[in-house]
Amino acid sequence: MFYLSRIEHTLRVPPSLLHLPILDAIKGELEKLFLDKVVANLGLCISVYDIRSVDGGFIFPSDGAATYKVVFTLIVFRPYVGEVIIGKVKESDENGLRISLGFFEDIHVPVHLLPSKSEFTPDPNNGGKLRWVWDYEGVPCDIYETDEIRFRIHSIEYPAIPVEQPKERDSKFPMEEKPKENINVKAFAPMIVTATIDHDGLGPLSWWDGSGDVEEEAEAEEDS
Amino acid sequence: MKILEANAGPLTNFEVLDFLRSKGAAKDPTRVLAKVAPSEYKIYDYLNQTPACNQTREAIIEFVERSKEYDLAKAEILNIINLRPIAPVEIFPIIESCDARMGDDGERMQELALMVEQVFPTPQNQPTSEVARKEGKETETIEEQAGDVNEEPMETTSTHFEN
Repeated sequence: MFYLSRIEHTLRVPPSLLHLPILDAIKGELEKLFLDKVVANLGLCISVYDIRSVDGGFIFPSDGAATYKVVFTLIVFRPYVGEVIIGKVKESDENGLRISLGFFEDIHVPVHLLPSKSEFTPDPNNGGKLRWVWDYEGVPCDIYETDEIRFRIHSIEYPAIPVEQPKERDSKFPMEEKPKENINVKAFAPMIVTATIDHDGLGPLSWWDGSGDVEEEAEAEEDS
Repeated sequence: MKILEANAGPLTNFEVLDFLRSKGAAKDPTRVLAKVAPSEYKIYDYLNQTPACNQTREAIIEFVERSKEYDLAKAEILNIINLRPIAPVEIFPIIESCDARMGDDGERMQELALMVEQVFPTPQNQPTSEVARKEGKETETIEEQAGDVNEEPMETTSTHFEN
């Protein structure tokens, strides 16, 4: 789930930080630059672990800042394919589930990775709110929002930053029904994790906590 | 920016939590004072809910040692340390082609689950057995209710005095 990653970066340290010890100044600048950011193919940067070497300190013409070449180690969050993690269901819609870890929320479970025979149906006990239900041989297993859920990583993507805004389909009538579509456009996510819960032992923790029927069935399934 | 080494070693949840604690992250409300970024606190809060919250370095070393007989991959060992599965059905999805490697009868799985439970301490928020969990919840709610009942009249009386 977490890795150490060694990185080399040419870092500009502004003169306003001259009064600090150099390592503190560099660490502060690195944290400003990397913390809580996703680096493509590396993952979400969590923390600066240590600074290995600092080189240079060159001042370019017409710039007041010193430029250092820094080699440092970051703690990054990068789940590996096949890893099992526990998170919380954040929302569910007809496209599947979205899971949150608190610090990372772009984990999606698409419909085809839910247990087979899952249905998106209204919940009579909760004012007809829609939720996913896994129909296990007649036993309905619900997935509620805010359920704790165990899932396995299926794939990780690092989409490129979109250069252009998606074009509006019909520019001749800009006033009609446009805003609605725009609201539904999802915010750009630099790291998208796709997860599956279609396996014995995966899914909401309440399915497997040994409270009876469901687990016995699962064992029967394992044997077959 | 140049990535010299994307993978300079994996960390367990415990090690990340330990690192954040060493930076000064704690549960007390004086969070603003510590040199810990808000984003780091989010990770700290998440890790504190996981079994990593009261693991120790010694327990992890002991587990790695004792797991050798099960012939697990490194990633699987890491995953077990992070999740602390104490039932065979929880271990099942973690281990690849579990049936073939751990045997069909589930005895080795049972053994492994028992070993995990012995080596790693029980997290405070996650009692060992189902019965204990249910009992714990009930007593908690009863205590809470009792607390509410006691508090409310006291508050009202104090306001009367002030008036």
